[in-house]
Amino acid sequence: MRFLVVDDSSTMRRIIINTLNKLGHQDVAEAGNGKEGLDRLGAGPVDVIITDWNMPEMSGIDFIRAVRSTPAVKDTPVLMVTTNAAKDDIVEALKAGVNSYVVKPFTPDTMKEKIEAVLAR
Amino acid sequence: MAPTPAIDTQFIDELTAATCDVFRTMVFREVEASTPIVGDALRPGANVVGTVAFAGQTCGLVVFYSTLDAAHKITASMLGIAPGDVNGELPDAIGELTNMIAGSFRTRMAHVRGEAWAISVPTVTMGSDFYTKYVSDVQRVLCPFRMNDAELFVELIVTRSAAQ
Repeated sequence: MRFLVVDDSSTMRRIIINTLNKLGHQDVAEAGNGKEGLDRLGAGPVDVIITDWNMPEMSGIDFIRAVRSTPAVKDTPVLMVTTNAAKDDIVEALKAGVNSYVVKPFTPDTMKEKIEAVLAR
Repeated sequence: MAPTPAIDTQFIDELTAATCDVFRTMVFREVEASTPIVGDALRPGANVVGTVAFAGQTCGLVVFYSTLDAAHKITASMLGIAPGDVNGELPDAIGELTNMIAGSFRTRMAHVRGEAWAISVPTVTMGSDFYTKYVSDVQRVLCPFRMNDAELFVELIVTRSAAQ
């Protein structure tokens, strides 16, 4: 299973990749913002996208809207990992096309549960 | 001039809990909180300072202070590498750590007080012999933490609160 992690923080990308590795997922691509994320998706399919919200160049919300409007990848499950935990934020993310939401800080168990949930859809 | 009101203990309790939670889950280290120090009498001897501003019904800053050595250990622990292998990742890691502490604090305050705040992107200052001076009247509380042999601080600076 191939994951794409999109986050402008190299630290957070590494934490998420380490968490995925611990959960048994070794095939992980990464991108520093939504624009790079779209480029990565153009290079080959991924099974799950994990994205931050606040990023330069293209935010996570704009990235997800772009994914959902691109026929080749529009059905890819998307998990958002962010500190934006207000109810309005979650509603906006879900409207943009997010399948599930992880609020930082998170545990590996939470990440595992959310990945399983988006894959079961 | 009326005396500057003290920071509500609920703010201090939630900031302390947020800091401990972020260290436990994302730094993979336990920190032990000590008694908070109100005011600006104590100036932490820090080489690395992360800052995130927040604004809403309450406005202010969350500031993380660490020595360079402790910041290396924190960065290494977050990335899952040896402290000696840290090379250039430190500012991003401390910025992300401060962002998560401020973000978790914001979420907790939204739950307990119903306040909605926006937070800024983090900034990280590295160096020595510097001190941040605030031009307007502010309320400050410095929360000390111990991570093994390292002392860390998280300061809450409130420039305007809903109670004022």
